[in-house]
Amino acid sequence: MTTLLYTHPVFLEHDTGYGHPECPARLTAILNALKHSSFAALQWRDAPLAAIEQLTRIHTATHVERTLSRIPKHGHYAIDGDTIVSPQSGEAALRAAGAVCAAVDAILQGEADNAFCAIRPPGHHAEPNQAMGFCLFGNAAIGAAHARAIHDLKRVAVIDFDVHHGNGTQAAFEHDPAYLYASTHQAYIYPGTGRREERGIGNIINVPLLANSGSADLRHAWRQDIEPALRQFQPQFILISAGFDAHRLDPLAELDFGEDDYRWLTQEILKVAAECCQGRVVSMLEGGYNLPALAASTAAHIKALMEAPLAA
Amino acid sequence: MYEFLQYQVRDAMTVDPIAISPRAKLREAEMLFETHDFNGVPVVDEQRHLLGVLTKFDLLKAFTLDSHAIAPHYDDIMEQWVETVMTPDSVSVDPQLPLSRLLQKLVEMRTKSLPVVENGRLVGIIARQDVLRALRRATIQHQLPAREDSRP
Repeated sequence: MTTLLYTHPVFLEHDTGYGHPECPARLTAILNALKHSSFAALQWRDAPLAAIEQLTRIHTATHVERTLSRIPKHGHYAIDGDTIVSPQSGEAALRAAGAVCAAVDAILQGEADNAFCAIRPPGHHAEPNQAMGFCLFGNAAIGAAHARAIHDLKRVAVIDFDVHHGNGTQAAFEHDPAYLYASTHQAYIYPGTGRREERGIGNIINVPLLANSGSADLRHAWRQDIEPALRQFQPQFILISAGFDAHRLDPLAELDFGEDDYRWLTQEILKVAAECCQGRVVSMLEGGYNLPALAASTAAHIKALMEAPLAA
Repeated sequence: MYEFLQYQVRDAMTVDPIAISPRAKLREAEMLFETHDFNGVPVVDEQRHLLGVLTKFDLLKAFTLDSHAIAPHYDDIMEQWVETVMTPDSVSVDPQLPLSRLLQKLVEMRTKSLPVVENGRLVGIIARQDVLRALRRATIQHQLPAREDSRP
């Protein structure tokens, strides 16, 4: 199995200001964990810049222009109370979306089996016309739209296990039967969307979990709701919005997942991928704000990608 | 033995307690809690009319994770007005309320203190510790007389 690792030094220069939880040290913690010899087989690649046409498959041109015009020459600019940008944030955001598109290309051209994009800023809260919740552009949705437009895929799924609901990805997909979006997240916290009744045209699967839910609840959500929907959809490609803030040590939420849960869930997704779509999976970093927990969880996730089962 | 039944709220309350304005910042309220060992502070207007109560619980609740922001804006929340997070229309008691009834109320409501209001104005505050002190006073003053027949 070959697993690609897309990242770029500019992701460390997306500066969100003193004390901000979505900080460069998150990525440093992950990249340090990947220096261990057990990750020697990872193939590292530089994240390229996304083209504007890749972004506007999901976002309005106004959103792209407005967001890039708000990048300050010095200091910081607050798009909202959560979402802070600094001089390198524009390039970082373009390379984050570019990493996912490049990874999709590489996997579909048979260069590797799967990929992880170690990127910042995250993407799943960015709506077609609105940056929010630390996110500027919807990396997962942009990657899925790229797979459809360039590789002519008819069915692309995004699995989102970040502790917050991916309102942006949902908004991009909810009227389009070519996409399936399935999310586990904590109920009643940010951004307030992701109720079970939000089903799009039957292509949105939301499984809100109550505070203090843990391994058993995650397994139940997968077996009961997400896995059956995913198998029925028969995806030709799977993207993963991999946030690790449902970890029991995370300060921004109250779910109780651990590294083993992330390993297990990744293996389960890979089993479906092996059966439905020749194991084609591109995963990308979303949230996760306790640095040791983030590093250990991401490492467990990537290890599982590297040990993916052979495709049927 | 039953002296406690004679007490009223006015006998045990703290008179003219410290109160806070509805337009004070949460940061000032926190300082007040830090300086004094209060669990809650009455919120009053300039004529000392009771508007509500701000407790440590109310203050903590303002900082919980919710759907409005991915992370609470801790600094901004400290600048909010007391009236935005206080418990308005809080229960208050009359100074003439028997202390036995006040005790009952504190237990039923699991509350730590209640403002005392007379003619609409705050005149005192009565807390668990005040009631405990009154109970001590009512019980240690009157040891039962030793009984003749208990002597050897």
